Amino acid sequence: MVKTTRYHYILRILLVFLGINAVWYAAALLIDMPILPRPSAVYESLLRLGYAEMWLNVGYSLYRVFAGMLLALALGLLIGLLMGRSAFWNRLLDPVVYLTYPVPKIALLPVVMLFFGLGEVSKILMIVLILIFQIIISVRDGVKAIPGTAYEVLSSIGATALHKFWHVTLPGALAVILSTIRISLGTAISVLFFTEIYGTEHGMGFFIMDAWQRLDYPGMYAGILLFSLVGFILFLLVDALDGIFMKWRRY
Amino acid sequence: MSSSSRNDGLRIQGLTISYAEGAPALGPASLHIPEHGIYTLIGPSGCGKSTLLRAVAGLLPGFVGDITYNGQSVHGRKALIGLVPQSYGLLPWKTVAANLRTALAVILPGRKRKEEREARISRWLEAMDIADLAGRYPLSLSGGQQQRVAVARAFALLPEIMLLDEPFSALDAMTRETLQRLFLENWRTRPVTALFVTHDVEEAILLGEKIVVMAPGGRRELDIIDNPVFSLKHEDKRSSAEFFEQTKRIRKVMREQW
Ligand SMILES: Nc1ncnc2c1ncn2[C@@H]1O[C@H](COP(=O)(O)OP(=O)(O)O)[C@@H](O)[C@H]1O
Ligand SMILES: [Mg+2]
Repeated sequence: MVKTTRYHYILRILLVFLGINAVWYAAALLIDMPILPRPSAVYESLLRLGYAEMWLNVGYSLYRVFAGMLLALALGLLIGLLMGRSAFWNRLLDPVVYLTYPVPKIALLPVVMLFFGLGEVSKILMIVLILIFQIIISVRDGVKAIPGTAYEVLSSIGATALHKFWHVTLPGALAVILSTIRISLGTAISVLFFTEIYGTEHGMGFFIMDAWQRLDYPGMYAGILLFSLVGFILFLLVDALDGIFMKWRRY
Repeated sequence: MSSSSRNDGLRIQGLTISYAEGAPALGPASLHIPEHGIYTLIGPSGCGKSTLLRAVAGLLPGFVGDITYNGQSVHGRKALIGLVPQSYGLLPWKTVAANLRTALAVILPGRKRKEEREARISRWLEAMDIADLAGRYPLSLSGGQQQRVAVARAFALLPEIMLLDEPFSALDAMTRETLQRLFLENWRTRPVTALFVTHDVEEAILLGEKIVVMAPGGRRELDIIDNPVFSLKHEDKRSSAEFFEQTKRIRKVMREQW
């Protein structure tokens, strides 16, 4: 039963993929210009790339997203938990978060570049900036939403704060953390593209813009496909985490 | 400490609780439950029953008065407390067995005592007739099943004091009767000093050696009523003349108070 629905799901995705290719092919025939090559030309160029170059670029992009995500998670989790569990810290940090949250973080890109240069630090920092506020807010609200009664039995038998954190607070916040990551992942990937335009010879953003400048349109589209693959891999990963940790919500 | 206070049971003296400034939510209240006694506490909604239990369970930081078990303050953590909260208090992200395990890990920590923890889990899931639910998550269980888990968890701690907060009030009549019988059977195999809160007169009579009646607002001293029905066989209680008499008596006390 579960097997067949999963099978159907994969089948549907494949059909959509084929459908997109068909539309793309038709459009390419219709327009008939080098700026929209046919799917076959793009796949050929993808194959010509060779594994080494392909994985080097994909790997760099994945590394930057991961580093940014882990840093944002670690910091955001800490601050969010602090604000969720302690009224004092919430009062202190709430205005800070409230004021900085609406600032469009991508507008800070030049500032970050000025302060941290054009290297890896500024690329990863941009992703941290995009993710951290969302994570702080959702962790705080997630922790606050855990009913006090969830702690009562453990408190009445003298459980340590660490025991309660590990068994109640953290798993209670995990659900919102995962959905936040899912939502902000799209933004994080877009920002990654911008940061990879400058100061690097690797990564999907660089690859796409480089092909564009060389008028290598099949190569450019191949890059877009690869970049989409990076996004797809990340979403699959979040799904996998969801499958492991959120079993209790599907019964 | 005198020798008599060593088996004194649960003693609450002059307990007064206020949540914010202003009128106290409860008290002053005094109550004595002998060791291995089971009393039921009945009162209208909002009179402070849950507040009283939370104070005994050590969940309220500030209150006036003394709460002792066998002569010692209950909050020295010498007396283990088995709490069955009004809303079950199960962790939805843990399976039934893991919910028991999380509580047991507090009182039986360490890898060496894993066997004992697991033995207690299977023993008390068995006792509450839910051994087959061990691997299920709480959200997939009915109210009655969740309540069995909460009761099993309290028993598995082998507590000195058991505090139950309207555990069966959200259940349908059939399920409630089954659970009352099952709870009492288990209590008889392992008697524990227990305070059972309910707002149901019948339940108070079926499960309590004595019945404590709390006035609205918790302002008057508690009325403590002897309950001859408790010593009857559980199956015969409902149809007995004593049960009928006792119901009338409790209702009369409640009418006068409320
Ligand atoms: N956390 C709280 N903060 C402030 N007031 C409370 C709190 N919990 C209960 N109260 C008040 O204390 C009184 C007794 O509540 P409670 O003990 O829950 O009653 P019962 O369990 O008998 O229905 C009520 O008036 C209620 O509004
Ligand atoms: Mg209550």
